[in-house]
Amino acid sequence: MSNQEKGTPLILLENIYKIYEMGEEQVRANDGINLSIQKGEFVAIVGKSGSGKSTAMNIIGALDVPTSGRYLLNGIDVSGMKDDELAGIRNKMIGFIFQQYHLLPRLSVLENVELPLLYAGVSPAQRKERAMKALEKVGIADKWNNQPKQLSGGQQQRVSIARALVGNPSLILADEPTGALDSKTSREVLTFLQQIHEDGNTIVLITHDNSIALEAQRVVRLKDGKIIFDGPSEEYRKVQVNMQ
Amino acid sequence: MRNPLRKRIPRELIKEFGKYAVIFIFLTATIGFVSGFLVAAGSMTKAYEESYETYNVEDGHFELLSQITKEEITRIEKEKVTLYENFFLELDTDSNGKKDTSTLRVYQNRDEINQVCVMKGRLPKKENEIAIDRMYAENNKIKVNDVIRLEGKEVIVTGYVALSDYSALFSNNSDMMFDAVKFGVGVMSKEGFLQFKEAPHYNYSWKYKNTPTTEKEKKEASEDFLASLVKVGQIKNYVPEYDNQAIHFAGEDLGKDKSIMLVLLYILIAILAFVFMVTIHHTIVKEAGVIGTLRASGYKKSELFLHYMASPMLVTLCAAIVGNVLGYTVFKNIAASLYYGSYSLPTYHTVWNLEAFLLTTVVPLVIMLGVNMISLLHSLKLSPLQFLRRDFKKNKGKKQVKLPNVGFMNRFRMRIMIQNCSSYFTLLGGIVFSSVLLMFGLMMSPLLSHFQASVLDFKLAKYQYILKTPTSIENQGAEEYSALGLTFVADKGKEEEITVYGIKEKSAYVKESMPKNGVLISDGFAEKYKLKEGDTFTLKEKYENKRYKFKVQGIKEYPAAMAIFMSNKAFIDVFEKDEGYFNGYFSNKELDLPQEAVVSVITEEDMTKITRQLDLSMGDMFVMINVFAVVLFSLLIYLLTKLILERNTNSISLVKIIGYDNLEIGKLYLVATTWVVIASILVSLFLSTFVMKWIYAFMMKEFNGWLTFYIKPTIYIEMFVISIMAYAAVALMQLRKIKRIPMQEVLKNVE
Ligand SMILES: Nc1ncnc2c1ncn2[C@@H]1O[C@H](COP(=O)(O)OP(=O)(O)O)[C@@H](O)[C@H]1O
Ligand SMILES: [Mg+2]
Repeated sequence: MSNQEKGTPLILLENIYKIYEMGEEQVRANDGINLSIQKGEFVAIVGKSGSGKSTAMNIIGALDVPTSGRYLLNGIDVSGMKDDELAGIRNKMIGFIFQQYHLLPRLSVLENVELPLLYAGVSPAQRKERAMKALEKVGIADKWNNQPKQLSGGQQQRVSIARALVGNPSLILADEPTGALDSKTSREVLTFLQQIHEDGNTIVLITHDNSIALEAQRVVRLKDGKIIFDGPSEEYRKVQVNMQ
Repeated sequence: MRNPLRKRIPRELIKEFGKYAVIFIFLTATIGFVSGFLVAAGSMTKAYEESYETYNVEDGHFELLSQITKEEITRIEKEKVTLYENFFLELDTDSNGKKDTSTLRVYQNRDEINQVCVMKGRLPKKENEIAIDRMYAENNKIKVNDVIRLEGKEVIVTGYVALSDYSALFSNNSDMMFDAVKFGVGVMSKEGFLQFKEAPHYNYSWKYKNTPTTEKEKKEASEDFLASLVKVGQIKNYVPEYDNQAIHFAGEDLGKDKSIMLVLLYILIAILAFVFMVTIHHTIVKEAGVIGTLRASGYKKSELFLHYMASPMLVTLCAAIVGNVLGYTVFKNIAASLYYGSYSLPTYHTVWNLEAFLLTTVVPLVIMLGVNMISLLHSLKLSPLQFLRRDFKKNKGKKQVKLPNVGFMNRFRMRIMIQNCSSYFTLLGGIVFSSVLLMFGLMMSPLLSHFQASVLDFKLAKYQYILKTPTSIENQGAEEYSALGLTFVADKGKEEEITVYGIKEKSAYVKESMPKNGVLISDGFAEKYKLKEGDTFTLKEKYENKRYKFKVQGIKEYPAAMAIFMSNKAFIDVFEKDEGYFNGYFSNKELDLPQEAVVSVITEEDMTKITRQLDLSMGDMFVMINVFAVVLFSLLIYLLTKLILERNTNSISLVKIIGYDNLEIGKLYLVATTWVVIASILVSLFLSTFVMKWIYAFMMKEFNGWLTFYIKPTIYIEMFVISIMAYAAVALMQLRKIKRIPMQEVLKNVE
């Protein structure tokens, strides 16, 4: 595809299959996916519920292994790695954002954001400083000392974005980050993601919503575990109606 | 550990202060008590062992009918032993105007052998002064400087002492138990001793010049010495040190309690570990999403493991440390006073006990770690994805449980029970454990009274005379019998003395007729060693290897002792006695027999000695066990109902929103728990009977003899009422907690 000449892709999926055996039945959640994403891209993976988006994201995020196929993250084959090695890779390279915010009670907003800095080898003072910066980026620094349950849903999601950002990961994976939010707050969250992208981060955004997918640079459409479209969002805008 | 998660631990401890505080206090008290107990027992054992040297304890003593001359003494000594005069008087007391009299065995101040440890006051100097055994004094409420009457003479008690050869106050070495109310020892000055007109017991203690070390050497030395002594003639009593209960009983008992205490401690810790386990599991389920996110962002299992283990381990560690500090200071004294309540032990000095320390710190920590580790590692085995999806395998199965159609409320309650299955199982375990303790605490006093009553009901005769030689008397309603002692060897070489009776035909005292072949055995013997009709067993002679085989033909109710019965004819046959042999009398009246002819008389008082002594020395212990059991029971109910409510805060606030009032919600959640608690109590009443029977048999194996197992029926009612009351108190507390759950809770919690 168009990006191949730029050198080692950050993400390279080759012939990825993920097959669930449900008794007699086979569910082909990912059915031969080939995908390459370069550093600095903002890609949306879009598709109906059950089309295999989360499955793909879990493989990209090294949370799950494919049934067959090869996955190179930044040129390194991660399929054969042990649990703790994978944990190390995820910690250094990937920031996760989920539909649910998963903040720890009994820790302040700031402390929640500090959590991923465990392995970065930073001092507690630096840790605080970097967490504070991440909070500033998502515009919620003033609430740093609050408990998660004292925040609204949108605010909690911003904290979880700050947490994903704080380790300066090479890749940010967001699975339906706006799924639990109203449309205004969803816009806000998308704006942050765009800002982060402009700062040079690579983002993979997963959504079932075409209008949200269009905020990305590039759109990958999944259907029944297969890629049925992969191209710039302007192009997707034109063909999206045919793909419902 | 620079883990930012660390910060949550102190906050967790503060937020859940109440919960952790009660667990901490309870654990600390338990560990403290056990540690104190071990330290006291250890220190006292050391003091007891050292007392042999410190107070120069004899190698044995014998009593002669008359005093012997210096020459005779030298002849007996023959460079092998040293003899010491250790004469004593047996004086009746009637102190403080009490009608009951007791017997004081009075010695002269001892300088050389079996020296005396002064525990309070001083030794007597003047003629009208006496120092008496501390425990006897306390049992009879005699204080230092009190005046007591001995054979009508008034003497002043100048001090409390412990005689190094009387750490257990056995008046007679062949007794099953000692009675420190009715029998005591004391020392007087020479003048004081000589003022009494009656002849003293000519008791001599000996010490070997070459001290034998092994049991075998001791036996051989004693047999040699006895053989040479017999030539001097007229030995009334001969007790080598190794066979002397007054010297050995206390020392052996000190060690026995240790294992029971430790087992109880470890069971308790295991139960608390299960409580923590259930709590941690609950937290993990609640925080599954965050755990998934943390694992996704690179947290290793080990970090999460440490995080969730921290609180229980911290609480246990602190409890172990504080408990041990209290053990060495407060509880040690409590435990020591328990021992001083049973035995006349000398003053002890606390010694550092590494083993006790490890057993009460490291082992509890290991149990806590072990139980929680297994469960936590199992939970954490799930992949980050499974955490994110809240994909707990266990839950899947449960959701499929089809509930019968029994109305909304009942279905709701059943769902609560299914959901909280693990909590309820822990609760059941805890209730069974505390019921067993409670039963033990409640049953022992009635058991002892019941035993005492049945000993008297089933006694052979009011007086049982044992004769030195067959002595004919005018018929005073007495009946001849034969008896001797043999040894039953149980598993692990434990020896048990069995009295063998030969009973006259058509006996007026034993209503059962004696079988032609084989023997009747006493119910205690049958119960303790699980012997049935038709079984055969072997008895052996005490110091020889001669063995006798017997067949059980029936069981005779005779709780007073471990005994077997046969016809006197058979007795004469088996033991090769002369025609017409007998060596005792049964009688319901006191008999007029020449004193020299009688070895001993067993009266009703002798038969009930054991129960009186046990009640006296253990009564406080039973009360303590009960208190402990009730506290444990309430604590477990509190912790587990709390957990169940917490697990359901969301649904509780949801039903609040729907419009249920607090009482209705209380009913919804507590009624389910109440069902489980009541069912558990009933199950545990049933179970604890079995467990108790088993523990009891295990416990009694250690002792000589057997106390008939008996649970007073009202104990079940007492246990039920006590348990329900404890539960009601906790349930009311929980109802207050339900009121405090805010409605917004559910709206905040997105997960
Ligand atoms: N753990 C699993 N076990 C069995 N089937 C699964 C599992 N996870 C996902 N699936 C199935 O795989 C397909 C794709 O799921 P998913 O990737 O979650 O879709 P999406 O995120 O696009 O909604 C679905 O049909 C789903 O039912
Ligand atoms: Mg999905």
